[in-house]
Amino acid sequence: MNKILCATRGGEASRRTQEAVIEMARQEGATIVFLYVVDVEFLRLTARGVRPDVVSTEMEHMGEFLLAIAVERAQKGGVAAEAVVRHGPLIEALESAALEQGADAIAFGRPAGVESSFSLSDLEAMAARITEDTGIETFIV
Amino acid sequence: MIRKRLLRHRWLLLVLAVALAITLGATGRESLSRAQEPGLETTEGPSVSGHVLDPLGEPVHDAEIVALAGGGQETVAETASQGDGSYLLDLPQGHYEALTIEISRPHFESHEIELEPAAMSRLNAGQPVRVEDVTLERRITAGFWVATLSFVLVLLLIALERLHKTTAALLGVALVLGTSFVGGALSPDLFIFDFERALSYVDFDVIFLVLGMMIVIAVIEETGIFQWMAYQAYRLSGGRIWLLVTILIAITAVASALLDNVTTMLLMAPITIQIALTLGLNPLTLLIPEVLASNVGGISTLIGTPTNILIGSYAGLGFNDFLLKLTPGVVAALVVLVLYVVLRYRRSFAAAGGELSDAMRQRLKESGRITQPAKLRKAGTIFGFMLLLFVVGDTIHLVPAVTAIMGAVAMLLWVSPDIEEMLHVVDWTTLMFFIALFITVGALQEVGLISIIATGIGDLVGDNLTAAILVLVWSAALLSGVIDNIPFAATMLPVVAYLTRTVPGAESGVLWFGLSVGAAMGGNSTLIGASPNLVTAGISERAGFRITYLDFLKVGLPATIVTVIVGTLWLFIRF
Repeated sequence: MNKILCATRGGEASRRTQEAVIEMARQEGATIVFLYVVDVEFLRLTARGVRPDVVSTEMEHMGEFLLAIAVERAQKGGVAAEAVVRHGPLIEALESAALEQGADAIAFGRPAGVESSFSLSDLEAMAARITEDTGIETFIV
Repeated sequence: MIRKRLLRHRWLLLVLAVALAITLGATGRESLSRAQEPGLETTEGPSVSGHVLDPLGEPVHDAEIVALAGGGQETVAETASQGDGSYLLDLPQGHYEALTIEISRPHFESHEIELEPAAMSRLNAGQPVRVEDVTLERRITAGFWVATLSFVLVLLLIALERLHKTTAALLGVALVLGTSFVGGALSPDLFIFDFERALSYVDFDVIFLVLGMMIVIAVIEETGIFQWMAYQAYRLSGGRIWLLVTILIAITAVASALLDNVTTMLLMAPITIQIALTLGLNPLTLLIPEVLASNVGGISTLIGTPTNILIGSYAGLGFNDFLLKLTPGVVAALVVLVLYVVLRYRRSFAAAGGELSDAMRQRLKESGRITQPAKLRKAGTIFGFMLLLFVVGDTIHLVPAVTAIMGAVAMLLWVSPDIEEMLHVVDWTTLMFFIALFITVGALQEVGLISIIATGIGDLVGDNLTAAILVLVWSAALLSGVIDNIPFAATMLPVVAYLTRTVPGAESGVLWFGLSVGAAMGGNSTLIGASPNLVTAGISERAGFRITYLDFLKVGLPATIVTVIVGTLWLFIRF
């Protein structure tokens, strides 16, 4: 395993996932690509005039900030890491980033109660679909 | 070539646009005044005139008025009541033994007036007769239930997020108009209103104000001003969290009052999360106070919340009315809010500890810079003029919608001349939501549900203004937490108009401001209570910090109670 793609955010659950992936990368001698996917689908919740392009740019800056924290964390753990931001639906963004970056594996964090947007079964189904689509190994840490 | 010339002469175009808008504003006001004048004058010869009113004392238009002679067998004249409820029946010259005036309209009980002998003598002498004003009693029809159930369905679909707000409101329009046209042909009781009447309920002042402000805000929001302000709050606070949260609350409240609370939160939330992480804080401890402040702050101006825009247009309240009469109360509520959040989050604030590197702090600084300073200077100048026009608009009869359109045109001509791009950023879906909502609520007025609600509340509060304020503010606050406050406020407008006319002391307009305070502050009680809550939760979740319904309720409900108490006290003090 040379390169692990890790889709991440910034909460406590993401921190645990990042630490687990950093430890795994260190043991395997792999590098990490932290991925943040910008998704402004929540804007449909408001019936008010908003600019998705401006919101999307701000979300991108926030994503870069969250990824920079993750990269610093990896570097402190002795693992080389880089950050990638993508826009659009999660699965498509994950697949394209993994293929583009030449990742050998994709890591997901185990859902942690109410903090998580996914249930474990949803996450397993998504991981299976990505493996089927790309041939890249996926695992939940 | 044409584009270059346009750009070269943009100042001239700007001046022309301003002049045109002022002219339109003044003309519109004059037209409105003329339209509100009683529409009928008496004519020569025998005639019968009068007024038709509903149980709330509002004029009833389009009532069918028929003069019957010969024991009710012979129609001698017919007409329809005008917008102000007046009618005039021109009778043919002749001798009448007796005359009955029959007044009928869908959703009302028919009413008959037998003319007295004295009136008959005047008519037979070829003179006009003025009969007493008639109050028609409401009648519950099948159309009443269709309109009511359609509205309830719209509210439920929005609350349960089963349909987009606009789709839900359009479904309501389709149901009431479809029933009127298709069902009305089968049974007159299913008729609610015709298309022309439905469109008359659309308040185009609101539509144009929202449209203009959308363009203005769209230009301002891409300059980076919100992010810069948030970063300055971080810088000025010097690591003191209580000071940071105080400044963030103040900034969010002011920005929400002057621009829009959803936009404010959409642009403040991402950098607030970065600031919180830099300080080693849970971002929710800054985001939730900000969103609470955005809902409270918007109350202090006409353009701060959609509910204020609705109230201002319906009640004829200007920018200064909200600014002068509500701002002190809003400031007091914000002070209480600061104390509450500092107390509520004291442990989290005390435990905060920065752990990020200098590189990350530098990155935060980058996120908080003004990205387009030249554009900000121009947009800020125009917005400053707009605020001036909003303030002086009351004096020169310039309606806020015209100021907003003038500002939008100025932005297009001077700052962001790409009309295609600007029209693309206008949220037509939102404008359609307002139009559909006006029609759906109009159907409720047409069938008499609003009348029932108004008289019900009127009976409950009687002549007691204190009771009226308490009932209105607290019911608005309570309901705004569970249903969308825009449809709620739109429904309550005629109710408040009735109470303002009938409750002694309410002519000061206090109940309009009570609706504003209750509807906006009530949105803080639950996650679904207001749009800023939902979009902030959306951003926060995408940063990995989920705001659950319960998380929000635990903080938002007590905040709502304390701020509504302050708001209510202010209304009692000010009015």
